[in-house]
Amino acid sequence: MKKISKRRAVFIVVWLFLIFLLLGLIIMLKEPPGETESIKELMKDGVLHDKNKISLFGILDVNPALISAYVVTAILLIAAVFIRIFAIPKFKTVPGKFQIVIEKLVEFFDDMAKGNSPHRTGFIAAYIFSAGVYIFFSTLFELFGLQGVTTEGHSIALPAPIADINAALAMGVLTYVMILVSGIVCNGVKGGLKVLKDFSLPISMSFRLFGALLSGLLVTELVYHYIFLSFVLPVLVGILFTALHALIQTYVLATLASTFYGEAVEPHHKKAKEEKNKNK
Amino acid sequence: MPLNIDIVQILLHMLNFVILAGGLTLLLFKPVKKFMADRKQYFEDKEKEIAEGLKENESLKAEYEQKLSGVDAEIEEMRLNAKNETATAAKEYINNAQEKASAIISEAEQQAEERKDHILDSAQTEIGELVVEATQKLLESNATPQKTHELYDEFIKSMVRDAQ
Repeated sequence: MKKISKRRAVFIVVWLFLIFLLLGLIIMLKEPPGETESIKELMKDGVLHDKNKISLFGILDVNPALISAYVVTAILLIAAVFIRIFAIPKFKTVPGKFQIVIEKLVEFFDDMAKGNSPHRTGFIAAYIFSAGVYIFFSTLFELFGLQGVTTEGHSIALPAPIADINAALAMGVLTYVMILVSGIVCNGVKGGLKVLKDFSLPISMSFRLFGALLSGLLVTELVYHYIFLSFVLPVLVGILFTALHALIQTYVLATLASTFYGEAVEPHHKKAKEEKNKNK
Repeated sequence: MPLNIDIVQILLHMLNFVILAGGLTLLLFKPVKKFMADRKQYFEDKEKEIAEGLKENESLKAEYEQKLSGVDAEIEEMRLNAKNETATAAKEYINNAQEKASAIISEAEQQAEERKDHILDSAQTEIGELVVEATQKLLESNATPQKTHELYDEFIKSMVRDAQ
């Protein structure tokens, strides 16, 4: 019995190998059906997004990354609604596997917020949780290769939202504004000034995100552009430039946001000293 | 704008993230955090309850141990008391018995004395009667009025002599 099954396995492997080899050869040797974009144009478009636009409900022509962003948001919100309705009410005191994953995710960002910003952690924990989930899943989103149709009628794989400079800037500026407002709310004008001092934060945060995600995008585009690189290699590329970036960028943005927020909302030292003197 | 930066698209991205952040916070973050906080509170309460129970048990144990050690001392005290009481009762009993015995003895002695006196009295009376009788018989055989007077005188003299 064992011999037969082993023989059968070998046969199936050889058979599949032959099929894929022949298919690969046919695709590689076949004349391309007219190049739609040169590698130069593709790279340029990857960085600047000036050519391929997608229509947003016919109102506005936008970069594909914006469509990706809304798709990711829709998927995440639908998943969140399902989890809220079906999973959370069934949470047990001794958690199951899925419950552990959700709890660990919340706990991770909550602990990070508490560690980096000991004062007023509630808001920043929710913020970095949302930002972390968004960046992580939107980066992984490009792995699915969902297709969109450009205004010119070409089919295009929807990229990671943060690979667009506009999305990266939106995240950086929004985070900075959030920190600035929190600083003013908690410590008045002095808190606001303290945050304004770090005016380079939104730029550094945005370009860090953009650069990291863009490099992944470019390499992936480059790999996919040449058909003979499309075997095995995309798996490595996908893991290196997508999964790792997703994790690293999530961690970096969450840490930076919580650290700067912690500094902004920290109670004023003079007050603390006065309180100490009063206690004495 | 350089690098194809588009303010409208930046704002659209911001809107997208604000919607997502609000949704995720309300749907996931807060409920899960609340659940975890409730669970933490539940276990803290339970732990507190157990700690209080343990404390109560400890105090009960200490109380019982104290009571047990007290019981030993109490038993010892009771034993001593009982011993003392027994000794006192025995002593009292012996004293009573001795008193009774001495009363009986003294009564018996008294009775014996009375009996002896009575016997002596009756003996004396009897002897007296016998003497009188013998004397009468003797007198009847040898009696003369002179002799009788002499005998009465002599008797009176001896009585006076005895009385002196």
